[in-house]
Amino acid sequence: MKKILLVDDEDSIHLLYREELEDKGYEVHSALSGEEALIQMKIIVPDLIILDINMPGINGIDVLRQIKEINPSLPVILSSAYQDFKQDLATWASDEYIVKSSNLDELKAAVKKHLS
Amino acid sequence: MPELRKDPIIGRWIIISTERGKRPTDFIVERSESRGGFCPLCPGNENTTPSEVLSYSSTDGHQTNKPGWELRVVPNKYPALIIEGNLNKEGDGIYDRMNGIGAHEVIIESPDHNESFTNLPPERMIKVFQAYRDRLQDLAQDPRFQYVMVFKNFGAAAGASLEHSHSQLIALPILPRMINSELEGSLSYYKYKERCIFCDIIRQEIHQNLRLIAENDLFIAIVPYAPRSPFEMWILPKRHASSYISMDNDHLKALSVIFSECMRRLNNCIPNVPYNFVLHGAPLRSQPLDHYHWHFEIMPKLTTIAGFEWGSGFYINPISPEEAAKFLKEAAI
Repeated sequence: MKKILLVDDEDSIHLLYREELEDKGYEVHSALSGEEALIQMKIIVPDLIILDINMPGINGIDVLRQIKEINPSLPVILSSAYQDFKQDLATWASDEYIVKSSNLDELKAAVKKHLS
Repeated sequence: MPELRKDPIIGRWIIISTERGKRPTDFIVERSESRGGFCPLCPGNENTTPSEVLSYSSTDGHQTNKPGWELRVVPNKYPALIIEGNLNKEGDGIYDRMNGIGAHEVIIESPDHNESFTNLPPERMIKVFQAYRDRLQDLAQDPRFQYVMVFKNFGAAAGASLEHSHSQLIALPILPRMINSELEGSLSYYKYKERCIFCDIIRQEIHQNLRLIAENDLFIAIVPYAPRSPFEMWILPKRHASSYISMDNDHLKALSVIFSECMRRLNNCIPNVPYNFVLHGAPLRSQPLDHYHWHFEIMPKLTTIAGFEWGSGFYINPISPEEAAKFLKEAAI
């Protein structure tokens, strides 16, 4: 079973995404901060990371740069409520940038694309 | 006493608050810390960027999207405007709108992550200016575009998010208001005096030598008469030309020499100062214009744009351009 590490400081996102992604047959693990994600990724060894940007502590873009420094081929989907972060060229290290929406079709398609 | 000064081209007023008597060392520049980690612009990471639209290499047989490049231009991975599609202009009552068609590209100026634009020697900087010209020539073939804005942000305060040296361009289906103002202002002057206002500025600045920073056979660098920002600099070709697109290699070389000198002078006055620079030239679809003159504007980010500036369009500059030019000229290079 493919493993996804979901990194977001909002519990509601974990509830929503976990249900949808587990329905698709993925094993979903949670991290509530960037710091926790960097520890968890070494323990879980995920096949894909879904990463929020605007989080307390290390923001998602700096977490992304650290993840890719460790494992450049690990797919990372940035998931943010804001488009603005796209102006930060460091987001190019991600494999997708998805604006959060209650409709998860785009996210699920991106996950499928990178895990198939 | 403070002084109000009017920009002769677009008529914008600025306030020089000379009694504050600022010196370069009075400006506090917060040093940007390197964020570290993976850099998508570095050689070896070409697969994290869209496929390049231009690259220069001194290596024979250099492969596209592979290391070995000296400069690379790639479309923005997450662009502000989208290249695909037709222009669709429509009205909404008194309002106008159109779909977001455009080209957004990033010029990666060096393969070295830690090499700043200021420290590029002229023989490397010339590649950057060559890339601007080559991309402008290519994008001008696209009939959807009216203008290409070339710009650089350096330092977090000036909007740069990644320390790897880069500049950007955005091809637009419309003419930016700032360019329109310069075109209208210079045309008005031309109709009255039958001379290009920029050519007149060049003549007067060389003659007066009050705001002149540097000069070579083909270019001058000045602090403009009514600068928005402390240590603002303009670089203009001495020979009249309205468009950057047709610039020859001799001009590229001379531009690199004077630009490099100006950046090093600025950096020696205020080390690591954040700045923006922009290239202003004639619209893509225009014939050569007798009244307009392409140029670069370099604006150090040393003041805050707040309520008064937003509300009035005025800028408050705490150092006179004459003083700024003096400091820049005296700075070691």
